[in-house]
Amino acid sequence: MPRWFKRRILAAPLVLSLIGLAACSSSSASGAAGCSSSSPAASPVVTLAAYSNPYLAYGKLISTWQSEWKDAHDGQLVQFLTSFGGSTTQAQSIINGLQADIYASSTAPDVQLVQDAGLITNDWQNAPEGSTVQSGSVVFAVRPGNPKHIESWNDLTQPGLQILTPDPAQSGGARWNIVAAYGAAMRGEVPGYAKNNPADAQRLLEGIFKNVTVMDKSANDSLKNFEAGNGDVAITYDYQVATSQAAGGEEELVEPPSTVQIRTPTVVVDKNAEAHCVEDITNEFVKYLHSKEAQDIFASTAYTRPIDTAQAAKATDTLPAVKDLFTTDDIGGWDALVNDTVFGPNGAFTLAFQSAQG
Amino acid sequence: MSAPPTERVKPSPAGDEDLTRLRNADARRGRLVRGVMLAVALVYVSVLLLAPLAGIFIYALKSGLGTIGQTFSQPDVRHAFLLTFVIMAITVVVTTFFGVIVALVLARDRFPGKRLVSALVDLPLAVSPVVVGLMAVLLFGRGGWFEPFFASRGIQIMFALPAMILVTIFISIPFVIREVVPVLQELGMEEEQAAWTLGASRLQTFIRVTLRNIRWGLLYGIALSAARAIGEVGAVLIVSGTLTGKTETATLYILRAFDQYQDQQGYIVALTLATFSIVLLIGIETFKRRRTAEAD
Amino acid sequence: MAAVVAIEQDAKRPEGRARPPSGAALRRWSLRGATFVYLGLFILLPVVAILQHGFGDGLANLKAALDTFGAKAAIRLTLEMAALTAIINGIFGTLLAYVLVRIRFPGRDLLSTVVDLPFAVPTLVAGVMLVALYGPSSTVGGWFEAHGIHIIFAPLGILLALLFVTLPLVVRSVQPVLLELDPAEEEAARVLGAGRWTTFRRVMFPALRPAIAAGCLLAFARSLGEFGAIVIVSGNRVNDTLTAPVFISQLLQPGHYGSTGGPDPAAAVSAVLFGLAFVLVLVTEKLVSLGKERS
Repeated sequence: MPRWFKRRILAAPLVLSLIGLAACSSSSASGAAGCSSSSPAASPVVTLAAYSNPYLAYGKLISTWQSEWKDAHDGQLVQFLTSFGGSTTQAQSIINGLQADIYASSTAPDVQLVQDAGLITNDWQNAPEGSTVQSGSVVFAVRPGNPKHIESWNDLTQPGLQILTPDPAQSGGARWNIVAAYGAAMRGEVPGYAKNNPADAQRLLEGIFKNVTVMDKSANDSLKNFEAGNGDVAITYDYQVATSQAAGGEEELVEPPSTVQIRTPTVVVDKNAEAHCVEDITNEFVKYLHSKEAQDIFASTAYTRPIDTAQAAKATDTLPAVKDLFTTDDIGGWDALVNDTVFGPNGAFTLAFQSAQG
Repeated sequence: MSAPPTERVKPSPAGDEDLTRLRNADARRGRLVRGVMLAVALVYVSVLLLAPLAGIFIYALKSGLGTIGQTFSQPDVRHAFLLTFVIMAITVVVTTFFGVIVALVLARDRFPGKRLVSALVDLPLAVSPVVVGLMAVLLFGRGGWFEPFFASRGIQIMFALPAMILVTIFISIPFVIREVVPVLQELGMEEEQAAWTLGASRLQTFIRVTLRNIRWGLLYGIALSAARAIGEVGAVLIVSGTLTGKTETATLYILRAFDQYQDQQGYIVALTLATFSIVLLIGIETFKRRRTAEAD
Repeated sequence: MAAVVAIEQDAKRPEGRARPPSGAALRRWSLRGATFVYLGLFILLPVVAILQHGFGDGLANLKAALDTFGAKAAIRLTLEMAALTAIINGIFGTLLAYVLVRIRFPGRDLLSTVVDLPFAVPTLVAGVMLVALYGPSSTVGGWFEAHGIHIIFAPLGILLALLFVTLPLVVRSVQPVLLELDPAEEEAARVLGAGRWTTFRRVMFPALRPAIAAGCLLAFARSLGEFGAIVIVSGNRVNDTLTAPVFISQLLQPGHYGSTGGPDPAAAVSAVLFGLAFVLVLVTEKLVSLGKERS
């Protein structure tokens, strides 16, 4: 066989094995089969997939927790890999194979998605505080001086207004926004819309979405877009606005009289954590997030409110008080909201959106 | 203008006087028109291409050398550059190696369906990077065609380096091939045949004659391929999972930096990529000039 | 010794052409094999996957995708932007090619290099550059904003990004053909009294037409798929700045506006999009080869 031929066909597998090596190296980093009960000072790696907003908070939480763990565990340094993006996008990635050990979602339904795919086996809904680690409220970001006089939800339906809100298919934040409007209307707190009247709630949503001009892929993107000069008002998280203001943003925050309490759950993705032999570590970390120290870090770095609803309604250093702060449980619970009343086939948002678009 | 044109005739020596007169009168208007054309062209290029480049220089350097140093000392930035480089290197090796083979086949071989193969090579140019990411998801994501095969062996393709390399290869396939094929076609096989007649082995001929003859076109293709690999963002965004410090390329870092109110760092990394690209560009230009010079 | 024998054998061949040393068939088929495997695995396979997912159930997926909010607008916007880009750069690209070929001026080589800039610069960086220059916080951008001209997060920004990315495609398509044009024909026309514009229209343009068309088509096809530059400069505003590739990335999410989401509708739209672009690229190749035959 001529030498050239041998060389040629040998080179091909060489190249392919390069790729294979790369594959193996990435897989061995993410976990070997079979965990030893005592992993001596080996540096375990924990992967956190989070929604777009709390990168500063988790940065601080991780480094604080890392050093506490190191002191308490014989110098073992736990490494963290982090990824931030739209909450639903992250959920979908995890379902598609992203090896996240912890999922910091912005909505319970996104966690439900991952659980339905069989990746979460713990009872997160009945865990302390329903696994919620951050709390806030849905607010409006407006231009300095509030030139359009936005005070409450009905003001969003004024003709010619340009509203920014993220895409509900990618961002959990988007769904908080919609649920907030729906809830406020159903509770009779929006002038011009009757209490407990689904048709009226739908009418409000339709009026709002007639004015929506941009639907970004994450809550973070949405606010950045607003800051870049687009639109008159952005519906967003209060702590998102506070973060932006701290970074120099000039927008003003308007707290609607009635709005929903945003409760973001952070959950261990059991299947992945088990495969990577880091279940103990991840469970500890998630438990830590509920501690006073962690909550203080959330409050000071991410400007979030206390988790307890009654406490959350009060003003904080950076955020105003909320007159009527309700939770998703007060308006039927996420299951009903997602599958029926709001996002279901005949839900208020689904129908409102179709007619707003048409 | 004087003589009414009745038919197109070649100017004869007898018409030289007319020619000169027309040319002189014309030359002035000609210069004016050309001047205007040149000015318009220069303005367009300046506004469209140069101004943004200047913008990024200004923005990145505005923060001062301190921030620049600080940006490069960040581990995630360094890792991002390293990752970009690794992906580029592997992509270039694969697309060059196989690209030369395919180019040889396309330029010299004849078989039914060759047209289809040639068209196939052009396909990646038409596919949006987002769609490439989707292709990878369909093949390697959960429920994908190859997912069970790799999952059972504990090999991570999706949301890890292999998927990122594969999509980058897909996107970079055409460049080497498209640059080498015309060169091969123009060269013909004479020199190779001469070498064979003189008793050279196939391998010797390939290295000493073929490769040598296509070198400028090949290098041009490699440079284009490398530039494309460095710049890839749409497909890797979908398949990487953007794990900071693990699957975040330089371009993905830039996206995140702008997301997380770190515009300065974003500009600095973008400027670095731009600078590297420009160096690559000058390399491309040099290769191209040598290639066209040799082709003449 | 073997080489000498081989040469003698070759010399006895009726065609008299020198053949390569033995093993020709094996070599040919191994090269072909490598080609088929490489292209088959890397290109054909993913394309089949998309087609199967997108159209495996007939046109249902495509319909679902097109019914999604923003779909038709995204496609319409993408086509409009691509067409505008092709036309504008068709004009300026041809102009640039002319300037580079026919006008001698200091810095011509530099201009030639600058024209190739978009080939080297990552598309995302191109977007970042545009934001740096025209974003509301820059002096230039601020001036535009103050006068009511929105560039970033507006269609104009998208257009600029696409023009940036596609300019070299047109220039490099027209340039080689211009190089081969003989100025004598134009001079003849001028001598016979034809005005400058007529000369261009009647003499140069017909010869350049295939090349210009090829360049425009390439620019159009390229614009259809552009993502990196656009994702930064546009605001994903439906009807305004949401383009098809970005839209497809949104389609991948579950529960997208009430649809089942998932990859199938996205696959359907993607297939249509790149099918169109692919056809255009092929037409371009044909035009280029036709142009070569003519000259």
